[in-house]
Amino acid sequence: MADPDVLIVGAGPAGLAAAVELAASGVSVELAEQRGTIGGAIYRQPISAATPVPQAAAAKARWRSLSAAFDESGVRVRHATVFLGIEADGQVLLDDRRSGGVVCLRPKVVILATGAVETVHPRPGWHLAGVTTAGGLQVMMKERGRAPEGRVILAGNGPLLIAVAAQMARLGNPPVAVVEAGDPFRRPAAGLGLLAFPGLLREAAGYVLDVKRHRVPWLRGTRLAAIEPQGEGFAVTLEDARGTRRMEVDRVALHDGIRPNDFGLPQVGGRGEGPLVLHAGDCREALGAPAAGADGHRAAREAIRHLGADRTANSREGRDIARYRKAQALLARLFAPLPEALPFENLPDETLLCRCEGRTVGDLRALCEMPDRLTGREVKHNGRFAMGACQGRFCAANTAVLMARMRPEAPAPTPVDLTGRRWPARPVSIGALMQAAPENTDQDKEMTDEVHK
Amino acid sequence: MTTIPVCAMRARSLSSLPSAVVIVGSGIVGAATAYFLARRGIEVRLVEAVAPAAEATGAADGAVSVASKRPGPMMEAALAGVRLYRELESEGLFSGFFKTRSTFIVAASQAECAVLEAHSAALAGAGVRIDILQHEELRQRMPAVSGEAMMAVEVHDEGHAIGYQIVHRLLTAAGIVVHRGAVVEGFLPSSSGNGVRGVMTKHGPVEGDAVVVAAGTGSGALLGFSDVLTPRKGQLLVTERAPELNAGLPGAIMSGRYLLSKGSQNSGHGAPARGLGLVIDPLRTGQFLIGGTREDHGDRTLNDVEAVAKILRDAVALLPGLANVRLLRSFAGSRTAVADGLPLIGRVPGRDNLFVATGFEGDGICLGPLTGKVVADLVCGEAPSLDLRPFDPARFGACEVAA
Repeated sequence: MADPDVLIVGAGPAGLAAAVELAASGVSVELAEQRGTIGGAIYRQPISAATPVPQAAAAKARWRSLSAAFDESGVRVRHATVFLGIEADGQVLLDDRRSGGVVCLRPKVVILATGAVETVHPRPGWHLAGVTTAGGLQVMMKERGRAPEGRVILAGNGPLLIAVAAQMARLGNPPVAVVEAGDPFRRPAAGLGLLAFPGLLREAAGYVLDVKRHRVPWLRGTRLAAIEPQGEGFAVTLEDARGTRRMEVDRVALHDGIRPNDFGLPQVGGRGEGPLVLHAGDCREALGAPAAGADGHRAAREAIRHLGADRTANSREGRDIARYRKAQALLARLFAPLPEALPFENLPDETLLCRCEGRTVGDLRALCEMPDRLTGREVKHNGRFAMGACQGRFCAANTAVLMARMRPEAPAPTPVDLTGRRWPARPVSIGALMQAAPENTDQDKEMTDEVHK
Repeated sequence: MTTIPVCAMRARSLSSLPSAVVIVGSGIVGAATAYFLARRGIEVRLVEAVAPAAEATGAADGAVSVASKRPGPMMEAALAGVRLYRELESEGLFSGFFKTRSTFIVAASQAECAVLEAHSAALAGAGVRIDILQHEELRQRMPAVSGEAMMAVEVHDEGHAIGYQIVHRLLTAAGIVVHRGAVVEGFLPSSSGNGVRGVMTKHGPVEGDAVVVAAGTGSGALLGFSDVLTPRKGQLLVTERAPELNAGLPGAIMSGRYLLSKGSQNSGHGAPARGLGLVIDPLRTGQFLIGGTREDHGDRTLNDVEAVAKILRDAVALLPGLANVRLLRSFAGSRTAVADGLPLIGRVPGRDNLFVATGFEGDGICLGPLTGKVVADLVCGEAPSLDLRPFDPARFGACEVAA
């Protein structure tokens, strides 16, 4: 089969919108999606016979029109396929987990639309089994059509917490509390700014009313400081300006915002014989689903321009994205953590930072307190941060923030200093990868068996 | 954390000793030189263009091994290098950072068996402790190895060390603060004689009574050895943790196939554009390090799927269980190779107090600590414990030192 001109990675709102636009322009395009279904995390569809979660009318309408347009486009989707990276000679490597083989493609453009990941700040006990993310709970509710059981506490920072609380309430098991580091009621200026976004305000008001109606305590300006196992469940410690208290719960769901899911991915731009790389949607800038759709169109047009297929310019997406950016900035100000609930404060040395390798805040502190000022890469190597099987997805960003706080005078490392941009971007079976380049006797001859003197 | 015992801070009264030495480069050679000088109570000023272990040391396979050496100066050096690792481990300096294990050179054809037999005789003749494993004995000792293996030579008392960990250990033990990002622009000539009084860096002058250049390929431009030194790329792979398979492998596996290509002792001339020598090393963590290539072309930081797939096919052919393990990372780096295949260690010709130590290609981790030790001897005007004549930079004649 011929290589497509454009390969899109990720079938969420950005990837699907890009695919629709490219197909409409007559560009050959394929889409690689790691799951068996399209829609991404935001439009996750119920599994088989599960009752769908009640959703906002606007979101439902967006999905209906996007999925219809995509079906019509006839774009081929490679399901259960994971993007591994771009190798030295410019080939794109895809791990096809259904066939158990690694596919090498030579598209002219790659659009990476891998969405966002949730941020979870380290706190003692965040890694315990039974502690999940609030976004993870939301996706589970979308798939199964029912709320998680038992006494659930939602904690962290940002508007998603209250949205998940409302969805749980509608499904019959409201959380026992929502613990929020910020306090929107104490940020009136940001609240007033939101009047310019009536749709967003309507959605938010709906969530807040649902939470109020079910008498869910919304503990603003509060920090969930620690989680300890207790019986079958957990005892959590809550801190606010008045002091500390404990609660017993069955389940903890944390959420401290979202960020682009761009760990280890190649940078935007072209390199040697390789394809032009574009990032689209939350993978480029985490602004939410409507913005991701618009950004998918923008990326598609950039790809079309690169291929020389079309020159129509349209700045509508640019304006839309700027508006979503403004809305997200307002939300961030509205939910800015209060001083008494700031993350990363007073973390005990034994707090786990890297789950894969069991590395702690104390391990990082020891390296940061040395008189010799180590770089991010040296801290990674000698502290074994971001070196485990998750390749830094869970710890690189937190480690970088903590390093900057522990050594305010040194240049702050970026998460990329810790993760690097090497392929494979995800662990891949050796049995699959070894078949990636076909046996070629000429080349085998060229690679002679001699390295060691 | 080990600190340097006070009893080691000796001998400052000897007037010939320098009081401060500038070292250029904080790979394993520069770090070890710094450590051994600091251990004598000499002040070390370590200047580094990027960061410790940022180049070859950070992308090395970590073999501390004589297994592939043929009799000659490199075998002598490797034997002394391995001995020093063991010493420093028992002293406590490297404890936890040096994994003692055997190397198994595995032959999978009649031709390889013949070459391996001759090679093992040469190793034994040099005093290396070896065992030849065949048939049932081979299966019992290495149950995870493929049935294709016909014969193996177990080379005892070898080991594995991770380059960046050794560098970190050496620098922290000596309490050295590295001048990072200090690109060296040239030397400061001394007011009289043929000496130097330090280096000029991007951040200003750094002075010392002697200068040691251990800057890998960058040493070439500084010392006028550019046509002698070439960067040689190597690609390496790291797997996830696979504790069961790892425990079933009593040491590193080296494919005997490379022994078939002859004349590899001085392989600088006419080396192939791209060589592959397969080594599978079971790490302490339960992971495997698999390598590697040796290439004179291509972007030195990137991995290509053709080489990676070829390495993996060869690895699975010898250790079939690897097919069910996941690859976590690929990486590449460049090592400094010398035209005649031997490193440069010694005084720079025509300069009284300027020294060079580089060009170890794939042997830097094995020879790094030893080199640091003998260079510290040289700098202090003492006879080094290793015969350095084969490695004398003067074999390439005089050179134009950048000032």
